[in-house]
Amino acid sequence: MKRLIYILFLSLFIISCEDVIDVAVPSENPRLVIDASINWFKGTAGNEQTIKLSLTAPYFNNSVPPANGAQIQITDSNNNAFNFVEEGTTGIYKNNSFIPVLNETYNLTVVYQEETYTASEILKPVANIDYVEQNFDGGFSGNETELKAFYKDPEDEENYYFFEFISNIPVIPSLEVYKDEFTNGNEMFGFYTEEDLTTGDDVTIRNYGVSKQFYNYMFILLQQNSEEGGGPFETQPATVKGNCINQTNPKNFPLGYFRASQVDEYIYTVQ
Amino acid sequence: MKYILPYLLLGLFLSGQLLHAQEKFTLSGTVSNEESNETLIGVNIIIPELKTGTSTNEYGFYSITLPKGTYDIDVSYLGFNSLKKTINLSDNITQNFQLQESLENLDEVVITENVEKLDISTPQMSVNALTAKTIKQLPTILGEADVVKAITLLPGISNAGENSSGFNVRGGAADQNLILLDEATIYNSSHLFGLFSVFNPDAIKDLKLYKGGIPARYGGRVSSVLDIYQKEGNSNDFHVNGGIGFVASRLLVEGPIKKEKGSFLFGGRSSYAHLFLPLFDVNNVAYFYDLNTKLSYKLNDNNNIYLSGYFGRDVFNINNSFENTYGNTVLNFRWNHLYSDKLFSNLSLIYSDYYYGLNLGFVEFNWDSGIQNFNIKYDFKHYLNNNFKLFYGLNSIYYKFNPGNIQPSSDTSGINPYKLTDKYAFENAIYFDIEQKISNKLQLSYGLRLSSFLRLGQDELNIYANNKAVNFNEDLQIYEKADPIGTDTFKRSNVIKAFYNLEPRISLAYQLNSESSIKASYNRMSQYLHLLSNTSSPTPLDVWAPSGKYIKPQLLDQIAIGYFKNFNNDMYSLELESFYKTIKNRIDYIDGADLIANEAIEQVILNGKARAYGLELLFRKNKGNLKGWLSYTLSKSQQQTKGRTPNEIGINNGNWYYTPYDKTHDISLTANYKLNDKWELNSNFLFQTGQPTTYPVGQYEYNGLSIANFSDRNSSRLPSYHRLDLSFNYTPKPNKNKGYQSYWVFGVYNVYNRKNASSITFRENRNTGNNEAIRLSIFGAIPSVSYNFKF
Repeated sequence: MKRLIYILFLSLFIISCEDVIDVAVPSENPRLVIDASINWFKGTAGNEQTIKLSLTAPYFNNSVPPANGAQIQITDSNNNAFNFVEEGTTGIYKNNSFIPVLNETYNLTVVYQEETYTASEILKPVANIDYVEQNFDGGFSGNETELKAFYKDPEDEENYYFFEFISNIPVIPSLEVYKDEFTNGNEMFGFYTEEDLTTGDDVTIRNYGVSKQFYNYMFILLQQNSEEGGGPFETQPATVKGNCINQTNPKNFPLGYFRASQVDEYIYTVQ
Repeated sequence: MKYILPYLLLGLFLSGQLLHAQEKFTLSGTVSNEESNETLIGVNIIIPELKTGTSTNEYGFYSITLPKGTYDIDVSYLGFNSLKKTINLSDNITQNFQLQESLENLDEVVITENVEKLDISTPQMSVNALTAKTIKQLPTILGEADVVKAITLLPGISNAGENSSGFNVRGGAADQNLILLDEATIYNSSHLFGLFSVFNPDAIKDLKLYKGGIPARYGGRVSSVLDIYQKEGNSNDFHVNGGIGFVASRLLVEGPIKKEKGSFLFGGRSSYAHLFLPLFDVNNVAYFYDLNTKLSYKLNDNNNIYLSGYFGRDVFNINNSFENTYGNTVLNFRWNHLYSDKLFSNLSLIYSDYYYGLNLGFVEFNWDSGIQNFNIKYDFKHYLNNNFKLFYGLNSIYYKFNPGNIQPSSDTSGINPYKLTDKYAFENAIYFDIEQKISNKLQLSYGLRLSSFLRLGQDELNIYANNKAVNFNEDLQIYEKADPIGTDTFKRSNVIKAFYNLEPRISLAYQLNSESSIKASYNRMSQYLHLLSNTSSPTPLDVWAPSGKYIKPQLLDQIAIGYFKNFNNDMYSLELESFYKTIKNRIDYIDGADLIANEAIEQVILNGKARAYGLELLFRKNKGNLKGWLSYTLSKSQQQTKGRTPNEIGINNGNWYYTPYDKTHDISLTANYKLNDKWELNSNFLFQTGQPTTYPVGQYEYNGLSIANFSDRNSSRLPSYHRLDLSFNYTPKPNKNKGYQSYWVFGVYNVYNRKNASSITFRENRNTGNNEAIRLSIFGAIPSVSYNFKF
């Protein structure tokens, strides 16, 4: 009886039954995906940078194909040109002489299968992660581990933050974006919750400074792909377009984003 | 058309006046239930000799004007013993009737309140009525009788999934329904995210849902009107009734304040499942409660006053990190006055509000938002003669909108206090409705409503370059928020923006023979308030926004035609209707629009349009041990938002797309079978085409995540929805009609445990990294027991 009432309550509420099912989904022709993120970790030279090109694939495929043989170049306002060279046929392109400068505008050009793609972004500074607080009694169930990574928001500018939390439990990182619209000038935190995190586990926390455009892009992307997404309160999902433009054939638009960020990294060991 | 119509109406009015010039007198009065003294709505008063008649209005009043003479009068109402009375009409006469509930028919299913013969002859079409009794007979989830769940079993009415809030009428959105409780607007009709509706079935006397052919006395929403009247309370004796269920319990007390003059009614309902949770070491709380009250007093034969109120709240608390309270409050004073035996009037003064409060403990802030309004309505019903009734009135509503207010909840909170700018508006309307009998075969009803909406002054109204709050980025082919170039502050008495609309309504009925008729209707309606919601069904924290500089009012045009027939002495009836409607200025949201705590909602909104059309069938069996109905709807509901200029792509590439509540086929079969005096079996069977949804067209990798890539909106569909519900009513002492009476309801919802998909979502498994599709199904087979009593 106790169990029955409990089940009734759950059905009353955040409910019921989730199961994995087979669904036939539509598919479309492959598109180029540009995962170009310039990351300048604090305390490093930032000369080594990587760009990843891949193609879209049917939703239930186990992997996505790399996009090989592209020419990639980033330029800055001082006419420095940084060429990225593919490592074999991995779709991973590298450059070892990049010069990161805060608030510098960088222009990306990708030529892939005779079509030219461009994007432009500013390298955004970021506040330090000052300290981390933990709580073992968080979340909806009351026994999840919560981490709060605190930073001080600068008061005299609009700031946008992109947080990445990497632990050894899930295979995919946990991502969050924040803006300072309601928290300007205050101490705020990046928030992470993970049920199975216990004492001794390491969590890598990265705070990236990002542009407003990236914030908007990532906000929608995360909203559409979040674990908690779905249900009757789900928003209408749509194609999320980044800042890369196909100059040759605008209809064949690329996916992904060209981002440039200063990064603060903090490795926290759960106490 | 706009200019010809008033003259046309005037012409008809005069022709009505000039018909018949012999000496006439008026018979008028009220009809009430003998036992409780409560007035009865929709009682037929028929004069067989003249083949004419009338019915009582929402306050139980009737008035009919006849040539001098002696007549037999039939007073009839389903579920009550009919009365016959001979009246010598040589002067104006006030005659009140009291009807006795017919005990042998106590469990009659009452679907429409009118005797079918009149039903086919009146021009009013596209209307469904349910009594509280019918609603209580339907098998329901967890044994709780529910108004909104009950109406979705009727043709043309659906909802966007099993636990969605609100309901959808003829392909319209949930915010396009005008929901009136004792004439006061209810802004959120759901408890527990749509699991229950806010109406306590014990406190309800009567409800009517208008899907089309909506009379001019209603306005402000484009899809439908759900008009609910609360019981007045028994002015003869003290009575209690209630019910005890698994999830919630109800108690309603009514009785006289002054015998036969005044009565009170006080009803309460609360869920209590959460009280058991500490037993399982769960710190979460989720419950709701509501209170219905009503005081009625008859000052004298010509004056009645009513005071009614509603207060409801939902409360959630999840581990103290998420606390949520929301609900409606309604207070209403009404005064019925008879100016003459032909002129009935009702004045209503109404306050209503909707409050939403949130406390996010882990981020340390409080949030509240809401809408408040003051409403004055003055309605007149003028029963000019037997062939001509004129209804007219006016209505003024003052609104205050609180789109949001953020306050830090502790000294250590990182949140700054922030108030989104309050908005104000004033909505006014005048209308007239005429019901006219042209001949014994043809009846007309027509009217006109002039509505206006004045957006009043506020602080800090954003100004944009070229008045465009949404920019189109031609490089990326996406819509983006525009940055304001400044703000304007207005005095509260200034009008920032004014809208005026003429809303003609017309319907007619042509009787083919004594058992069948055809009807047709056209109506135009406008809606000035919009619920900001970009999810499939509304959530409690969605806020209402007024029309203004950047949001235009929605305008509806609807036509409907129908065929109505009674068979076998009213044993069966058939209603067949077809409708087509279009809505201009339906708001749509740019991709990724964030609506919560958005100070500048205009930056994420574009004006589009919507259309819906369909065919509805309702076949009923009204008498015998087996009663019930079959309802079938075939329909389509779509919306479209094109680019504002040829360079823009619009939303969903400017193509029509299905709304989340589009259902191609929607079938429900409802049956009530009386096994014997003690046992009764009720069942529902539902089949619906799966809800439109958006499946991914591919995946890609970005920043270590597998991202689902979506394309056209709502171009896929969930699997079909179907289920069977059963319930047994057991009355231990069926012959007991006085004193303590009780019955049990044993039910099973979703008997064959179909896992209906409420949604299918796509995600990357956090442990394996593989993509998977997740079906969320809300309710499997759920048994329930409830005990109901009255004394």
